[in-house]
Amino acid sequence: MTDKLRIAVVGMGKMGIVHSCILNVIPDVELTALCEKSSLTRRILKKMFQNVTIVDDVTKMVDFNLDAVYVTTPILSHYGVIKAICKENVARNLFVEKTLVANPEEAKELCQLTSNSEGVNMVGYLRRFYVTFKKAKDLLLEEAVGRVSSFNAFAYSSDFLGLESDVTAARGGVLRDLGCHAVDLALWFFGDLKVYSAQPISENDKIDDSVNFKVKNQNGLDGEFSVSWRAEGYRMPEVGFLIVGSKGTIKVNDDKVELALQNGRKTAWYRHDLEDNVPFWLALPEYHREDDIFVKSVRNSVTVEPNFVSSSKVDEIISQVEKKAGEQNTPK
Amino acid sequence: MNRIHQSEKALLVGDNPFHNISHLSQERTRARGDNLADSSYAADLILTSVANGANGFMFSVSEKTLSILSAINKKGEIGRLNLYPIVPYAYEYVKLATQTGGIPGLAKRFSKQVVMSGNFRAVVNGIRGVVGMNPISLVKTYVAYEMSRIKSSAGKRAKIESIILHEIVTDMALALNLEWFFKGYIDFVSKTKVVPGFNTCNFAYLVNKLEEWEIDLSDVFIVAPFNSVGFQMNPSRTACEEALKGLKKPTLIAISILAAGYLKPEEAVRYIAGLPNVKGVAVGVSKEKHAVESFRLLNEALDKNL
Repeated sequence: MTDKLRIAVVGMGKMGIVHSCILNVIPDVELTALCEKSSLTRRILKKMFQNVTIVDDVTKMVDFNLDAVYVTTPILSHYGVIKAICKENVARNLFVEKTLVANPEEAKELCQLTSNSEGVNMVGYLRRFYVTFKKAKDLLLEEAVGRVSSFNAFAYSSDFLGLESDVTAARGGVLRDLGCHAVDLALWFFGDLKVYSAQPISENDKIDDSVNFKVKNQNGLDGEFSVSWRAEGYRMPEVGFLIVGSKGTIKVNDDKVELALQNGRKTAWYRHDLEDNVPFWLALPEYHREDDIFVKSVRNSVTVEPNFVSSSKVDEIISQVEKKAGEQNTPK
Repeated sequence: MNRIHQSEKALLVGDNPFHNISHLSQERTRARGDNLADSSYAADLILTSVANGANGFMFSVSEKTLSILSAINKKGEIGRLNLYPIVPYAYEYVKLATQTGGIPGLAKRFSKQVVMSGNFRAVVNGIRGVVGMNPISLVKTYVAYEMSRIKSSAGKRAKIESIILHEIVTDMALALNLEWFFKGYIDFVSKTKVVPGFNTCNFAYLVNKLEEWEIDLSDVFIVAPFNSVGFQMNPSRTACEEALKGLKKPTLIAISILAAGYLKPEEAVRYIAGLPNVKGVAVGVSKEKHAVESFRLLNEALDKNL
């Protein structure tokens, strides 16, 4: 590796721009290339990103001597882009925005493919880097609420409230776009889960827009998820959990964590209490934390979480939800 | 006329509560009720703040805030306020990009809006910007378009003191080291007799860069979080305070002084009053009681220090 890590970003939508900007301020990174299909966007990028090569196809980056590539294209294209990067040896370290791919079969194939490369890989489940969810994870590790028996999770936004379903189709459905964050956190908090029922929140909904589903684990833990991007009052997307244990409860969302014990003791932590500042803040502090951890892992050649293998379990859960919802909607 | 050298302090009403924003907890905004959705109620809150010492309104340019300005104008009170618009209203554009499929969809929708506005200057700059892929021409188009929206709602007596670039634009340009963009923006806005402003979540980084590029900081406003718990003060409260001390003139308009409701007003004001180089503060209010208490307190405590 050269002194600075040479990194490229593929797909310059919202996520691509945010990651590119942050990579540009991380001291030991050289943002080397950007790849974007839209010619209008490429023309704008040429003005904004100085000394960075702009291309329209990943295979054109083969000779760029890249240490890592970020894939921030729409979810449905992740599989093809990652395969092309691996096949052409564009770079061996990969970061991909969530979700890893669009189905468990593709996820399995990519895990296999990348397991041979000895590179670092990571999936952008941003909420693991929120200080509130990190605090909740620490409380669970400390067994602050004893043995966990159940949880309720939600992932809501008002992004598509009042809009037709055809507007949302390109984003791969609410489960992949937003619900995946709650699923990833649940897997991080509680380990493997299995879906046993799923249905749209109301009769008029499609599961692509809003869905409720229930899960269990092998120790008898019960979990319920409610996911919608047509919820009222959620100006910004929000994810949250109520976790019930033998000694009390943990309530956590994007903004705060509340621990309530059966002995009456209550404690709350806001972002303010949890060292939320970062060296460079763009949009949210979590983006810098996430990119910094990936870069350090590549630099030190150590595995990082969430990686392709752990994130493929999110794709598996989403697939189970789709299957269960389909079964329950089939006339008997 | 560039008004930045005037000794008047800027005590500004912020608009976050009118957009139902709380950086402490989204849960709290859902519990606030619907009063704040009413433009007339919001206009009355701003005028109550003015009666208690506020002299300006800092706002993102949106349909919501434009209707508030229109309500104040109809009451014949718009002349009592200095306006500090923040552009663009990032939330609206990010949501549009989400719904229209990214940058190309957003560009198409925005071009249509500019043409429909009938603002000749904006259209000409827009064509120049697209043909030559000139980002500064595109910014000129955008600012001209937003100015025309503000004036059509707030009326001819509206006093626009500053046009402030939203943190997402400032911080992206900062991350990309775009010296020409900062210089071009300052040059363009200054020519319109308005003070150029930059909203940032990276105060120390921005100050250091602007100094490195030899930009005269006495000719701009920097809008950034400052509070005693260091909330959103990146990379740290200490680094931001050091950068503030190094300024030659009052340039800072402090926001998030209450750390999104985490601090008591007295505690928050005490901290701000002890800082050097503060040109003003912006505080959101959601109730009449808050409007009276907050601005009386700010007016008394900051009078001697600004």
